[in-house]
Amino acid sequence: MTQTPYKILIVDDEPDLEHLMRQRMRRDVRAGLYTLYFAQNGVEALERLNEVPDIDMVLSDINMPRMDGLTLLAQIPNIAPDIRAVVVSAYGDMKNIRTAMNRGAFDFITKPIDFQDLRVTIERTLKNMEEWREALESRDKLVRLQNELNVASKMQQSILPTEFPASDHCDIFANMEPAREVGGDFFDVFPLPGGQIGLAIADVSDKGVPAALFMMSSRTLLKGSAIGAMAPGPVLKEVNNLLTEENEAAMFVTTFYAVYTPETGQVAYANGGHNPPLVVHPDGSSTLLPGTDGVALGVFPGIDFDQSATGLSAGDLLVLYTDGVTEAMNADGEEFGMERLQSVFSESRPETPETANKAVFKAVHDFAGETPQSDDITCVTVLQR
Amino acid sequence: MEISVDRANEVLIAKVEGRIDGANAREFEDALNGAIAEDDSKVLLDFGALSYISSAGLRVILLIARLLQKRNAAFALCSLSDPIREVFEISGFDKIISIHDTQAEAVDKIGQ
Repeated sequence: MTQTPYKILIVDDEPDLEHLMRQRMRRDVRAGLYTLYFAQNGVEALERLNEVPDIDMVLSDINMPRMDGLTLLAQIPNIAPDIRAVVVSAYGDMKNIRTAMNRGAFDFITKPIDFQDLRVTIERTLKNMEEWREALESRDKLVRLQNELNVASKMQQSILPTEFPASDHCDIFANMEPAREVGGDFFDVFPLPGGQIGLAIADVSDKGVPAALFMMSSRTLLKGSAIGAMAPGPVLKEVNNLLTEENEAAMFVTTFYAVYTPETGQVAYANGGHNPPLVVHPDGSSTLLPGTDGVALGVFPGIDFDQSATGLSAGDLLVLYTDGVTEAMNADGEEFGMERLQSVFSESRPETPETANKAVFKAVHDFAGETPQSDDITCVTVLQR
Repeated sequence: MEISVDRANEVLIAKVEGRIDGANAREFEDALNGAIAEDDSKVLLDFGALSYISSAGLRVILLIARLLQKRNAAFALCSLSDPIREVFEISGFDKIISIHDTQAEAVDKIGQ
């Protein structure tokens, strides 16, 4: 082994002990396992600890002049909080042993010293300390990762629009609640030439960091294609081809994309394997937008995406959502489902897209109760005026 | 999630029971990879006892489908309950993976 020797500080007022310890431990010292330091009382021990800050372990007698072992024990954490201390006491001195343990001693041995026992105790103590250090390191790594995730989460949230095009003809609202720090759902609402608006909602397979990375590239590709003012079918076709290239991880993204014309209420759309959006009428009744036989994006290269169209009448709401809404589960393992989603609107028809989203999110949370949210929840709602 | 494996007419039949979600999708993937031998040329997943599959589970199905496609092996699913079938229909996966109503029908089709 080429690791640096563990540093052990031995504290005892018996002058012969240093000689004895050096002799008994000489093989271990020569093998590079340990380096020994000595002090004759608590005061000297504290001085050593200050001089040699990376001492790993202290082995201390209890009765010593100037500062005894028990006082030393209480002082050690002020200098080296992670150090392990073992006390040496007279055989049967339970009172002092108990006090030492209560002051944080890791273990004790009794006099006269049995060197075989001492060796085992030292090994055990150092092993424990090593594990403790590793645990501390893992904790620090976790904290760092957590901080990075929080940054990623903020970045991800910041690319989702929070202001939406509004006009005399329409009102739009969209939001997402991620299940974890970073999510795989996204939506987009952007103006297109000629007063049209691009509406997108998507859900990447699985969750967490891989989904978030795939989500970021999907969203950029979709917007890039859409700004090229293409119709929904060709947009999904282009994005699908780009995502399918080098997709070894077999990630995919269900995507609904529509080109909406607020003046006329016309919605041209293509659905790449996403949940069918709802059209909610002024009386609270609702219908599902028929599918376009599409496949989730990233799965199969070269395929065409059919598109379809519908018209919104004044007072209609178009509600896009992800399966985090319909597949939210309660404690009994039941899913929220389409019927409950539809009844959110039939029981009391929300007036605005924002109140509609709030009502949906509230209904989902009320339904799920204490059951933790397992998937991102996203809604994009358009009100046709 | 439990997987039990059977062979009939040279078809490897893996019956999947329970739920497949983000928490056990990796386990599902490993189990399938373990169950499918190098020389299996016909693979059928029986979803009759599957109660739920999330997109993480669909991803595993896609990985297996691609793997088997590379080997020119046949791959199919059977006995999907209505909610599970709906997941495959909405995502469009039913268009790229063959789905049969019953195990007998599936074995008959791909066992030829």
